[in-house]
Amino acid sequence: MRTRLTALVAVLLLGAPIGSGGASARPAAGGVTVFAAASLTDVFPALAPENAYSFGGSNALATQIAQGAPADVFASANTALPNQLYAAGVVEKPVAFTRNTLVVVVPKSNPAGIHSVYDLAREGVAVDVAAPAVPVGAYTLQVLKQMGLTQKIEPNVVSQEVDVRTVLSKVALGQADAGFVYATDARTVPGQVTVIKVPAWAQPKVTYAMAVVSKSPNRAAAQAFVRKVLSKAGQAALRRYGFLPLPKPAPTATAMLRGTA
Amino acid sequence: MCCTSTRRSFLPATSPSLTRAQLLSRTARGGAAALVAGSALGQFVGTAAADPLPDGDLAYARLLVATELLGADFYARALASGKAGPRLAKRLRLARANELEHYQSVGQILSGAGLVPAAPEDIDFGYPRGTFASEGSLAGFALELETIMLGAYLGAVEGIQTNALKPVVARIGASEAQHVAYLATIRGLASFQAFPNPMTIQQVSNALDAYTA
Repeated sequence: MRTRLTALVAVLLLGAPIGSGGASARPAAGGVTVFAAASLTDVFPALAPENAYSFGGSNALATQIAQGAPADVFASANTALPNQLYAAGVVEKPVAFTRNTLVVVVPKSNPAGIHSVYDLAREGVAVDVAAPAVPVGAYTLQVLKQMGLTQKIEPNVVSQEVDVRTVLSKVALGQADAGFVYATDARTVPGQVTVIKVPAWAQPKVTYAMAVVSKSPNRAAAQAFVRKVLSKAGQAALRRYGFLPLPKPAPTATAMLRGTA
Repeated sequence: MCCTSTRRSFLPATSPSLTRAQLLSRTARGGAAALVAGSALGQFVGTAAADPLPDGDLAYARLLVATELLGADFYARALASGKAGPRLAKRLRLARANELEHYQSVGQILSGAGLVPAAPEDIDFGYPRGTFASEGSLAGFALELETIMLGAYLGAVEGIQTNALKPVVARIGASEAQHVAYLATIRGLASFQAFPNPMTIQQVSNALDAYTA
């Protein structure tokens, strides 16, 4: 176990900018400490104000948890990081709890005249993205690859950020011509950015997962928070903030062709 | 925009749209045309396994899968609207069957490359208000849609780099041209084009954006 954990920390450290998402104040009575993806910055405190939160890039948070940071719950903008921590025994079995989509944001003044993802390939356009180790950065790379635009847009990338909110703020401040963020983040700065669709045919499957940290001294309260997020009220809160519900399980294509589904 | 298709609306009890299971089972029953298209593509898939496709070709395949899903979704809804007379309804059914076979074929480009093609539940489609209001509006939208699909395939023939893919894409383009010709005729727009216009991948993508949530 120890060897696996050491290896996991080493892997996470390779791509993780440590320092983002520093620990916040202690939770109120009955609350827990939640390490959560930066894109959950608005919805989680609204849903459970009694908790203490540390928001940041999911990869950085995963590294901190693997190194023993005092978190009770880990909520990630992907399923891969919680699954890695679960495999290493750091967290309990993760559960998926919501989905999101990717969009491009441009400053309201749109100085580069961006109207579609394809415009980001034009010479001289300054594109801001999250680092590849951050889930939104990995999703961005996936979009570019799926649209066949990697070679054309990568030369225009001017910075790689530690989390999605940093991308958003840089674009809102006009420090970049465009950036890739989640649709939910774009909603948080109305009037400051214009949202441009990432085509539906190129959208990655953005699924969030959360898990109780194995060494949590507040296991019951941590599990209660996970249940709250999964509850009707929790799911409704996520939808109010623009997150998408989880799809119903679909039968596999093989099962369907065999007529067993 | 009206009539946004949600995942729930793909359930057969509440919607004319298709689940992946229905889509695949109908395609499996699709007969000789599907087999012909499948076997033509089978030759390509063997080639692709040995020689990975460029990202640009895979991007085209994803886009074409999405256009076929839109076509199948629209025709299913058009038929369910009950606004098509018997003659048009018959053609809409045939066109829908073609789109499902095309979906299967272009989907195989992705599955042959070890990727998963988009399924009906992956994309929510929406249509302009009034699309399903009358036989004329159905035919009008169908013509608009088929013109995009024809342009997409013609563009793909030019834009795709892998030669082994071009014949299948060209054959599907010819099928879409048949749809365009019929729909133009019933809309009173019958005119023949010596060189129908191809669309760039960006033009097709932007056109599709208008019909996706």
